[in-house]
Amino acid sequence: MASANVNLELPKDYEVSAKTKTMMSILMFIGLVAFTMTMVNNPERAWSAYLIGLFYFITLALGGLFFVAIQHMTSAGWSVSIRRLVEAFTAFLPYGFALTIIYFIFGGPVLYDWFHADRVAADHLLAHKASYLNKTFFAIRILVFFGLWLYFAKRLVGSSVLQDKNKDVSLTTKLVKPAIACVMTFAVSYSFFSIDLLMALEPHWFSTIFGVYCFGGMFQSTMAALIILIYHLRKRGLGKGYITDDHLHDIGKFLFAFTVFWAYIAFSQYMLIWYANLPEETIFFKPRSEGQWMWVSLALMLFKFIIPFFALMPRWAKRNINHLVAISCLVLVMQFVDMYWLIYPNLDHHHTVFGLSEIGIFLGFVGFFIYAVTRFLSKNQIVATGDPRLEEALHHHVVY
Amino acid sequence: MSINNIVTKLENLLRSETKSCFVGIWTDEHQMIAAATKVREHGCKEFDCITPFPMHEVDEAVGISRSIIPWVTFFAGLAGCGFGLWFTWWVSAVNWPLNIGGKPMWSLPAFIPVIFELTILFAALSSVGAMFALNGLPKVDPPVIDPDLTCHKFAVYVLESDKAYDKAAIEKIFSDHGAETIKMAEI
Repeated sequence: MASANVNLELPKDYEVSAKTKTMMSILMFIGLVAFTMTMVNNPERAWSAYLIGLFYFITLALGGLFFVAIQHMTSAGWSVSIRRLVEAFTAFLPYGFALTIIYFIFGGPVLYDWFHADRVAADHLLAHKASYLNKTFFAIRILVFFGLWLYFAKRLVGSSVLQDKNKDVSLTTKLVKPAIACVMTFAVSYSFFSIDLLMALEPHWFSTIFGVYCFGGMFQSTMAALIILIYHLRKRGLGKGYITDDHLHDIGKFLFAFTVFWAYIAFSQYMLIWYANLPEETIFFKPRSEGQWMWVSLALMLFKFIIPFFALMPRWAKRNINHLVAISCLVLVMQFVDMYWLIYPNLDHHHTVFGLSEIGIFLGFVGFFIYAVTRFLSKNQIVATGDPRLEEALHHHVVY
Repeated sequence: MSINNIVTKLENLLRSETKSCFVGIWTDEHQMIAAATKVREHGCKEFDCITPFPMHEVDEAVGISRSIIPWVTFFAGLAGCGFGLWFTWWVSAVNWPLNIGGKPMWSLPAFIPVIFELTILFAALSSVGAMFALNGLPKVDPPVIDPDLTCHKFAVYVLESDKAYDKAAIEKIFSDHGAETIKMAEI
């Protein structure tokens, strides 16, 4: 029940503990070692594993940006007290940009056939698509997309942080228009980004719903990561009175909704390709429905949709943080499996190549992401206390 | 039988029997909530509030437990899903087999949309139906305790049939919380 928080203290500041610092250093070190060692033996595998981590965490960072933008766009009040945590995800974007440039220069030629003029010349379809799938245009797209994302992150998150200090109400009203622009450019840029990085691994294949598929997984995993971050803060005794069970309930609803959304889109993509049965479309699903890959496909359906779907259905499930964290961990693991399922069949059609390389390189990215997020949180307040709608968030009350 | 007769018959069918109750009426909703809380603490179960706008505090004051409608939705959804599975199989593989594109007669991916829609149709219609049934709707011509209860007044009413009904005690609760009107009424 809503009660007046008359004497609510300002939220305590977040500090990166020595334990967290050691942990993320170790993770980054593991990532570096795993990458170097895999690079020596099998560069294609190293860059494939790198691409999993890269796309996974750029997706989380963009999920943060998108979530912030829709809150501003709809002038949402309920989410003000959790918004800063989502804003923290965007802190990975500059690092993601740097890591993407490294990937473009060194990883691109290894993974993409269309980086090589001789292979393009030998392949009629690649030659036909060369006006889009070529190195220069790819580089321009990366620069433009990251330019837009970094600009909007600076605009939306920067204003929010500035508002903590100057309490300027007009900053909030001024953000509606940039938020709308952000969402509209995001829809286009993220679609093309997923096409460029993932779909272009198999340049003969195309699916017009691919960007939406990646977006479904993006929103789902962003909500899962947010729940885990809230859990981490609660363990530290932070955000009390600001981040309540009612907020968890609504984040849980989002997680539930986008679990369904992801499955809906995944099935839409599958069914239309299965029905039409055109060779240039089925080349994506053929390797994924045979042998070991079939098990990965079925695991995706079961653990990324069916289990979270039923586990998040009851009301109590969305208000119990331990339960939510368990489901969020499952969703985040399955988001990794999803990336793996999208990328690795291009490496080996018949076998699920998996080992310490994949785990190690991914852990490196985990360390990087934790570093970016915790650094942002330690430099700023953990709640956007300057936002004029904060009161509304503190009284947020979810009836059903 | 004339049309009027049929209408009257239908109306009588939908007109529920009235029960007598004891009512307190306020213009201040906070006092009404306080009184309702006291009535619950007194041990009454068959009582409720009437407010001109939705008030979440009432749920807690009256001690309204969660509705069973989510369960209705869930099982109706499962039933719709099961029906869809069976029906698509029966139609396309048993009763009228048609070969489409050389695919198996009963090709699950093709029927998932049908099964999905039936799940939602069953779940949604059952939820609405259950809501009507639980609220005793439709109801014709219910008794009006006070016309201002849809405008600016708030009421608590306790049914006479309540096991913990004690007119003197409830009257004291109502008057202690400054009820404007205290009266017997039909609901």
